[in-house]
This record gives sequence, C-alpha cells and structure tokens, in this order.
Amino acid sequence: MIRSSELDRGFMREVMAIPGGENLIKCWSCGTCAATCLVRRYDPTFNPRLILRKAGMGMRQEVLSSREIWLCSACDACYPRCPQEIHISEVMKAIRTIAIAEGYEAPGPFAEVDTALCSGCAVCTRACPYGAIERQPVLVNGEERMVAQVDHTLCMHCGVCVAACPSGSITLEDYANDELIARMGAGGWLEEGSYQQGEATEPRILAFVCQWSMRSDAEWATLDAMQSDSLRIVNLPCSGRVDPGMILLALSQGADGVLVAGCSEGECHYKRGTYLGRSKVALLDTVLAQMGIQPGRVRFVELGAFDRGALPGLIAEMSAALKQPAVTVA
Amino acid sequence: MVDAARHPKVEILSYSEVERVDGYIGNFRVGINRKPWYVIADNCTGCGDCAVVCPIEVPNTFEMGLAPRKAIDVPHGQAVPLIYSIDMDNCIQCFKCVTACGHRDAIDFGQQPEYVELDVGSIIVATGFESFDPTVIPEYGFGAYPNVITAMELERLDNSAGPTVGRLVRPSDGREPKSMAIIQCVGSRDKRFNEYCSGFCCMYAIKNAILMKQMIPDMEISIFYMDIRTPAKGYEEFYNRAREMGIRFVHGRPSQITEDPLTHNLYVEAEDQELGQVLELETDLVVLSAAAIPRADAGEVSTKLTLSRSPGGFFMEYHPKLRPVDSPTDGIFLAGAAQGPKDIPASVAQGSAAAARAARVLSSDTWEIEPIIASVDENVCVSAKGTKCGLCVPACPYGAISCVTGEPAKITSAKCHGCGGCVAECPHSAISQDHFTDAEIVAQLRALLQDNPEEKIVAFMCHWCSYGGADMAGTSHFEYPADSRGIRVMCSARMDQDFVLEAYRRGAGMVLLSGCHPQDCHYITGQQVAAKRFDRLQQAVERLGISPERFRVEWISAAEGEKYARVITEMSQTLKSLPKEQILSENRGARDSIERRLRRWKASPQMAELMAVAGDDLPGGEELS
Repeated sequence: MIRSSELDRGFMREVMAIPGGENLIKCWSCGTCAATCLVRRYDPTFNPRLILRKAGMGMRQEVLSSREIWLCSACDACYPRCPQEIHISEVMKAIRTIAIAEGYEAPGPFAEVDTALCSGCAVCTRACPYGAIERQPVLVNGEERMVAQVDHTLCMHCGVCVAACPSGSITLEDYANDELIARMGAGGWLEEGSYQQGEATEPRILAFVCQWSMRSDAEWATLDAMQSDSLRIVNLPCSGRVDPGMILLALSQGADGVLVAGCSEGECHYKRGTYLGRSKVALLDTVLAQMGIQPGRVRFVELGAFDRGALPGLIAEMSAALKQPAVTVA
Repeated sequence: MVDAARHPKVEILSYSEVERVDGYIGNFRVGINRKPWYVIADNCTGCGDCAVVCPIEVPNTFEMGLAPRKAIDVPHGQAVPLIYSIDMDNCIQCFKCVTACGHRDAIDFGQQPEYVELDVGSIIVATGFESFDPTVIPEYGFGAYPNVITAMELERLDNSAGPTVGRLVRPSDGREPKSMAIIQCVGSRDKRFNEYCSGFCCMYAIKNAILMKQMIPDMEISIFYMDIRTPAKGYEEFYNRAREMGIRFVHGRPSQITEDPLTHNLYVEAEDQELGQVLELETDLVVLSAAAIPRADAGEVSTKLTLSRSPGGFFMEYHPKLRPVDSPTDGIFLAGAAQGPKDIPASVAQGSAAAARAARVLSSDTWEIEPIIASVDENVCVSAKGTKCGLCVPACPYGAISCVTGEPAKITSAKCHGCGGCVAECPHSAISQDHFTDAEIVAQLRALLQDNPEEKIVAFMCHWCSYGGADMAGTSHFEYPADSRGIRVMCSARMDQDFVLEAYRRGAGMVLLSGCHPQDCHYITGQQVAAKRFDRLQQAVERLGISPERFRVEWISAAEGEKYARVITEMSQTLKSLPKEQILSENRGARDSIERRLRRWKASPQMAELMAVAGDDLPGGEELS
C-alpha cells in the first residue's frame, strides 16, 4: 500500500524544473509509450508509463533507486506516438539527472575498456551515439596515458564502440568479439564447405540480426526454427555492432553470404546504430567487389516497425540471389 | 425530413450554396447559388429508371467508397427531396437517361445555375461535422491495411440498405470476421491532431459492439479506450449492458497495428493498464473511432455569416452557458455538431432550441438591442468632408460599419454590440459609445489619480474577462497590493491610446491594459484589434521617455483570479522598486508631447474641464484650439 504520507509531493515539480522534464505533468497514463517501447519486450519490468506515473505521484525514492530509469535508450519510438506530445526520453533524462546528483548509479552492463590495450586513438569517442566515451588521463603501467573511458551514466551498451575499436580493447558483456565468433562457428558451422565450392546444396547464409529489429517473441521463434545447415543466426545488440572482420572471417570460411538485419533508419534503438551498420556493410560490399568478389554476398536489410515477419522472406531472397551464377568482376 | 418537406411553411433548397449574407437581425438578405441538377425537379418522380440505364459507375461517397453509384443518382435512398441529379464531372453524355425517362421528360442538360435572393428574419447554421481522416496516423495503418476501417465504414457495412445488405464482411477477403477490435480516440484527445474529446464516439463504439455481438454472437469484440465517457441519461446502463454481453474493454491506448501479410489479420498492441502488461491482440477487423472535426468549409461559412470559431475550429456560441445556441451575430443561431461534437439527443435539443430562438425573432415586430452601442458624430467624421479614412470599418468585428468617402461613416445599430473598437480606433474622436464615452473615462481617471498618482496602477479591464478575473481574485480572497485602480470598459478594443496617455499626463505610476485571451473574446475579434493597437502603444510609450516596465499588457480570463492577483503584485513590486523621482521626472518630460497629442480633446469645453489639473498653469483647451 502506498501511504500519502510517504509521498514526496514536490518530486514532480523537481523533475519538471529540469529542462526536458517539464512535460511530466501532461501524462495521463494512456500506455501508448509502454506498448511502443522496445526495451519492454526484453525487460518486462520496464514500463515508461509507470515511471512517469510514479514520478508524478511523488514516489521519489522508488523512482530514483530503480534500475528501470537507466534502461531507456532514448530511441524515441514513443515520442511521435504520444497523444500528449511528451518527449518521454527527455523526462527520463531529467529523472536520471536527479538520480546522478543523489549518487545513484546505472546498473550496467557497460562497455569496458582494457586500458592496457587502448591506444587512445579516439575512434570510439566519435562512434558512440551517446557521447559516453571520452579520453582521459589514466595511469597505465606506471605511466599516465590518454585512454578511452566510459561514462556509466550515458553508456547504453549498444556495442558500436566494440565494433569500431581497432585495437580490440573494448568488450561488452555477452557480445565480446570472441563470444560472437564462437556463436558464429558453433557446431562447426563455419568449417563446412560452401555452396560456391559445390559442397552444399543450398547457399549458406550467416545472418547477424539486431535484437530490436525483431518485434515479437513469435518472430524470434520463427527465425530460430529456421536455423539449419544453410542458415546461422547470430543476434547483436545493434546492427552497428557488426564487425566487418567477422563478416570476412565467415566469407573466407564456409559462408556464401552474410546478411545484417537492423532496424529501419529513424527507428534505431541506439540513435544511429543502423546508420553505422549499414555504412559498414555498404563499404565492405564495394571493397569486396574491388577484390574481385561477387557483389551482393554481404547485404544489409532494414526492418521497420511494420515489417512484421519480413525477415524470412528477405533471407530466402538473398539465398536465391546467391544461387545465380557468379558475375565475374574484372 | 419528409415532414419538413411536406410542411407548407418550409421550403427546402437542396444542392444549393449560400453565397453571401447581408443585413442584420430581422432583415437578412441571403444570396443562394442553386446548382443545376440537370433534372427538372417538378417532373422527376424519383423512380430511378435513369440510374438503371446509366453506364457510368463511380465510388459512392455516401457508402464510404464501399459501393458504386451512377453518374445520375440521388445521394442516398432517404434523400429529401428525392430528385435525381447528374454528376457532370463523370457523365459521358450518352443520353441513355433521357430515353429511359421518356414521357416524364425530366432530364434537361441545358439547366443553368440559378442565383436567388431570400429575405429572412433569422438564420440557423446547422452545417454538421466531418470525420477525421486516420491515414495521417501511420501507426494505425489505415489505408495501408484493408481490414482497418473507420466506424463510418462499419456503419455502412452493418446497414441493411448498405453495400453488403447488412452482412458484416472483412474488406480483404469478404469473410465474416470472428473478432473485432475497436480503437477509441483516433485523432481526438491527441495533441498532434485535435485536443478536444469528440464526445459521442464512446457511445457509438458501444452501440456498434452490441449490434455486432447480436448479429454474430460468437464474435470476440474488444474496445481499446483511454476513458469511457458515458455521462448522459441511460448511457451508463448501455455501457453496462455491453460489458454484460461479454464485450471486452481494454484500458490502454494502442501504440500500433501490424498486419500479417498473408492472412491480413491484424495485431493490435496496447498496454492493458489493469494488468500492467503489453497485450498483443490478433484480430480480424479493426475499427477506428475517428474524431469529429469541423467541416473543411467552416472558415468560409464563418466569413460569410460573421461567425467566430472556437479553438477546435467549430463555430463559437455567444456564451457557453447562458446563450449556447446563439451565434455572436444577432439573428444567427447554431444547431448540432457545427457548434461542437455532439450526439443525436444533444443535436435535437439544440436544434429545437435554435428553432425557438429563431421563432422569437420572427414573431416580434420590434427587437430590443443592447443599450451600449456606438454612434458617429456626422459633423466630426472626416469621411463626410471627403477625406479618405474608414479606419473604423476593419475595427468592427460585426461588419456593422460602412464608410464611403464623401459621406460620414454609418453604423447599423442593430448589428452593433458595443465593443467600442471603432470608438478607440477613430483618430478624430468622431465616434462615441453610450455609457463609455471619452468624457466618462477621463472623469474616472481624474478621480482615481487625485492623490499621489505616481503610487497608483491604472488597470483597464475588459468587462467579460479581466474584470471578471479581478472579481474572481476578490471573491477567492487572493491577496494583492491595494495600489491598483480599475477602470472597466466593455472590451480591450475600447482601450483608447489617449486614455493611457491621459493617465501618464495625470501622473500615473503604471498602466495595465488587460483583456480576454484571443480565443475567449466576447466580441469575436475585439481582442485582436486591441492587441495590434497595444503593440504600437508600447513603442509610443517608450518614445515618450516612459520606462517600458511602467506599461503592461496582460490577457486575463474571468477564471484567472490568481493571475490577476499575481500581475498586480508583480506590478506593485516593480513600481515600488522604481525611484519616485524617476517616475515624476518621466511624467514631467512626457507631458508636453502628451498635451500636444490630446489637444483635440481639449477643444471640447467639457473635456477641457475634465482634463484640468489642479494648480496647473498649462494653457486650457480654448487657447490650444
């Protein structure tokens, strides 16, 4: 039971006083944001409507100490649908601002930098969609060096920095380089001969699928059931996490094609992860063509909120394309 | 409608458009453009033989495009009068209809539009509403998914005279749906589109759900809602009946609808707030309860009839509580959804009320008008002397003033509502307003600024809003400093810049001009006339060397007592923070140029006497003139 005596009446005003939080008062709890939210599919405890409601009610301690307030990645899928035009991620940011000031910390996981390996090149600082990485002086092996440091209040664990890091010094829980490579080749999938070598009956496709681009559990189940000798699914936190090195590794071994599925532009859960993923694939395709490898062996597909069940069809389409006789590129 | 057509004293002009409306209450002249039917009304029996032979089929808008109609047709089966008309945009002139009509000889391709003028005593505006087009909400997929339809389409699909003869089918495959989801508040209660509640959608959604449940008992029906609003008599019982019939009410606004491309089944996603969980509901058919919106031509109609519109775009009534069927223009009344979204009982009630209000005009030989009206002094009006002026004409929200160079401006008293906008706009003080003459206001200023004027705030308030706001501050016991001295005028449009100048000439510390918020103005556009003038005035005051913080404009509604108290408190604090010497010296500095500007007033002996300042050695009016 919530006792009114335990509520902090001033909390709503406190949030509203922070730029971005001023619209908190407009929320009438229709639930559109909760039903839109992508985070909610993976973490049922997260409910933006409920956070706004609790903040409005003045449940100060409960809101500030909850881990949910750190889960919103500001993808803003809910913002354009809100009938009250509340920029919910901004309200969330305002609540976090208060939480940070009171010493609360985000629960993670975060991207972790191995300072011994980091060269301080700052590629990751430019790649990060949240500006969460900055170079800072750190004592490494007795000498002070400028190395990448992750701000835990900003990191959303999309993994874009991990893919960007040329020295392999950044890791992300569950999605470290070696973990992904292990999943790609699990059960000796990569070692088997490819269709192009005449050793398989169907083109063998490795699909990297962004975890947010599949909108329902049913879709994941369908996709999982499709896994076979000719299809391997590896899920990524974001299509921006895709590493061209891994694509090359797959192609050099038993894969005929690599498909990367991400959210459609504008719907990316991590602001510009889709843009980065798509750019990497497009560039790689061009480079491969210059090396005399048939274009189209790597492909990026965008899945929008309304492309329910579209991915199996897109995989079949790629498979059919890979069956076409190779065009010789001079 | 049939009764109306048969009534000896009712004439129906269908397929006609009002072109212009002149005159005033009791004496309107309405110009009407009667469009050609290409069918002679007296000869047409409504048999429909012509439509049978017509080879052209176009989408039937009455059936929401779900069925075709012919190029010669009636709008719908119950149309009154039942006269066929030819849609010339689609007719190929094969003349088969002429042959089919035969000896009745009703078809006339040579018919021309006709302009008729009617003299009428009163006018009732009942132009209705339109349905919001949900295609602009991408997440609901209307237009993209065949099985997402609007409630209006559902109405046609379950109508026994409709395209499916009352059998409900899915548009994608013609199959009877086994489940249906109804989504409320599509385009209303949504800041992106229309902020207001359309009011009657809850009831028609429940009605449709009950009808469908009766027709197809095993159908699973879910209604997604934010709030169910069933406030009128018998409505709540109806809602209970729907619940008892097993219709599922889901408290949650759907975030999106997706479609299975193979089956065309739809997935509605919404947070069920009772469960606190996201619900993904697979359904055969989705029905959107689209908002009721003002008709696209509401702007045009409001211009022709001098009506004003509320923030949502519907026609505004004279007073929301006390005169809900009167328009701001006397003799013009509002009925039905043209005034705001409403259901059938409310429309009938308002229609009856409007008819009674209109009959009141028709049955009277004379009509009492408001006592506060404006009149022109023909000897002063410069237009009479051949000067091109006419500044009063655009200031009148009611179109009551006409001004032809060479003749004095003429005010139609029956149209004047006494806002006083023209009085303040007239640069020659040729217009005066009964009960709010310049002399009366100046006399009030003299009285209010008798002692220590530099410590006073002169607050001009409009009668309908700001004065009510000040009243509200008082009755609500909001405390504010006692430095303000109020002067009430009917509208902010009456607040002449000369009043402000006179206040400073008399040594006032501060001046506040306050009126209604733009959408609340009692005199349609009076506030806008005032706002424009106040902008100019702000600069004029600064040019006189008076600190800008000593002049303030605020829009305060009758409900904003707290705002009135706050504004006065702030102004009082500002006034106290200014050195007294500064105020005195600013007023002294401005005095000469104010005197020059006000010399026209001083020409009148009465005004000169009112304007005399005790112990003042400045020349009086006689010398200046």
